[in-house]
Amino acid sequence: MEKGHAVYSTSSKIVRMILWILMVLLAVVTIFPVIYIVFGSFKANAELLVGGTNIFPSKWVFSNYADAWQQANFATYTLNSVFLAVGVMLISLVTATMSGYVFSRRQFKGKELIYGLFVMFMFINVGSVSLRPLFELAVKLKMNQSLLSVIFISAGSGQATYIFLSRGFVNTIPKELDEAAKIDGCTFFQTYRLVILPLLKPVMATIALLSFRQGWNEYIMPLVFTMTNDKLRPLTVGVNMLKNAGDGTAAWNIMFAGATIAIIPMLIIYCMFSRYFMNGITSGAVKG
Amino acid sequence: MKFFAGPEYSLKYEEQGVRCVSAKNAVNKKKTKFTRDSVVVGLMLAPAVIFLCVCSIYPFIWIFRYICYDYNGFTANYTGMRNFTRMLGDKTFWNSVGHTFEYAGYKLIFIIPLALVVAVLLNNRMKGTSIFRGVYFMPTIISTSISGMIFTFIFATQNGVLNAMLTKLHLIDSPVKWLTSQGVVMAAVTIMAIWGGFGNYMLYFINGMNGISEDVYESAKIDGANGFQTFFKITLPMLSPVLKVILMLAITGAFKDYEAILVLTKGGPGNRSMVMFLYIYNLIFGSSSASSQPQIGYGALLSVVAAIIVGIVTVIYMRISRKLDDVV
Repeated sequence: MEKGHAVYSTSSKIVRMILWILMVLLAVVTIFPVIYIVFGSFKANAELLVGGTNIFPSKWVFSNYADAWQQANFATYTLNSVFLAVGVMLISLVTATMSGYVFSRRQFKGKELIYGLFVMFMFINVGSVSLRPLFELAVKLKMNQSLLSVIFISAGSGQATYIFLSRGFVNTIPKELDEAAKIDGCTFFQTYRLVILPLLKPVMATIALLSFRQGWNEYIMPLVFTMTNDKLRPLTVGVNMLKNAGDGTAAWNIMFAGATIAIIPMLIIYCMFSRYFMNGITSGAVKG
Repeated sequence: MKFFAGPEYSLKYEEQGVRCVSAKNAVNKKKTKFTRDSVVVGLMLAPAVIFLCVCSIYPFIWIFRYICYDYNGFTANYTGMRNFTRMLGDKTFWNSVGHTFEYAGYKLIFIIPLALVVAVLLNNRMKGTSIFRGVYFMPTIISTSISGMIFTFIFATQNGVLNAMLTKLHLIDSPVKWLTSQGVVMAAVTIMAIWGGFGNYMLYFINGMNGISEDVYESAKIDGANGFQTFFKITLPMLSPVLKVILMLAITGAFKDYEAILVLTKGGPGNRSMVMFLYIYNLIFGSSSASSQPQIGYGALLSVVAAIIVGIVTVIYMRISRKLDDVV
């Protein structure tokens, strides 16, 4: 595709300039809350409580982070968040690639039914009520004492999108490869592991990013599951617990630092892999 | 090396010969081999299916079990139709349904045109397109709970940065009570929703526009169409199939939102920003403010009703969009 190197008249140049400035303004507005939080996390609590329009702190305070890390348990919260996000990511990768491969390549009884159920439950949404039976189930299985239950449920309720993604990708891989592998003596599983899986790398990157984000950003479910257990809370829950605490207004600096800790890792990952994020979002929704 | 070529060939032929001979046996063997293979297939599909059963199907059935019960997490009593009659007279719930429609309406009215316009502009290859796109999409990677929290700070009445800025620009005289006044809280909630979501829909639109052929624009330009004409006569009609899908995603999405609202306002003040899924959440897990007992049976009934409402809205939307097809 050749870039249109059109010659613009002066008036359309001006229009383009105005539009461009509007876009910059919109970008500033979009990025402002994040900038405000990140720089605000270096402000002293007194400065935050007074307010004002300054974005940059008048005096840089770094102890907010030390306080958050030690006093407010953020070390534990961060570890929990990492555990949760990585767990959801790994499980999603395994289940999505395997079932995507099976759905793409195998004909068996009930395939349409199972596939239909996946699609159906993607659209049926009964809200938070479905967490109640899962919570009671976890209590019964004595799994509510670890984050594993949260990981399983998060991976389980988000898997449909990833399965569709990987199924769509396997569909684009020529079947001849499978047949060649079969002739070489590969079993069905070996074909998946040795032939298909290496080719799935691009879609696996997308699934990994999306599911990592999902696990990292999960809020309601860990909130419900860790109501009584402070040690299991991920960052999203921990930060908001501070806000709900009665003397919340007193600790704005720690909340700012906590919110920053919760945002920054995701932002870094996004800056590095934004292309995969965007690919995943569009191919998962509109194309699929 | 050449010496080895001979035996290799003969080996291959031999193998084929063996296969031909044992073709008869293969028929007998086929059955056992098929089962082993299908066990593997079953095992590979098992994790996803188990997850589907446990995380989606089981809760769905569970809900219907408690519709007619009064259940607080420990004891369940059958109450017959009492939950239904309570629902019919529950003003808070029906108000929350109204608020949900209000919120979804506000969100869609602003977010869809904004996302569409931004997508069209980005499609015009301005300077820094990819940076703009990256920035606009950025809020969608932040947890809605964290963005809810960020906006609590921004909207804070006394020391919030938004009020400070508006005062400095002399747009307001006294600080606006964004989160504690019934008149403006919906505006605050909507602003947050737009901030967090428009990048997502922008990306859908950009993706849809990639499907429109460059030649069409080229010929429009030759015919002397200006930007507005191109947008209304070409981009919009050619985008309509994608637009329909995006609108449907946006509608169902807007009706499901409650996480950020839970963090930002907890449904307050005076239930003014209470959307139906937030009300249900409070019923089922007990609202954090009042130490009320969870009312799971009633919440289960309401969530079925809420799901039906969303379903009806979706069906109506699909009807309308099909009708539009006939008109245009």
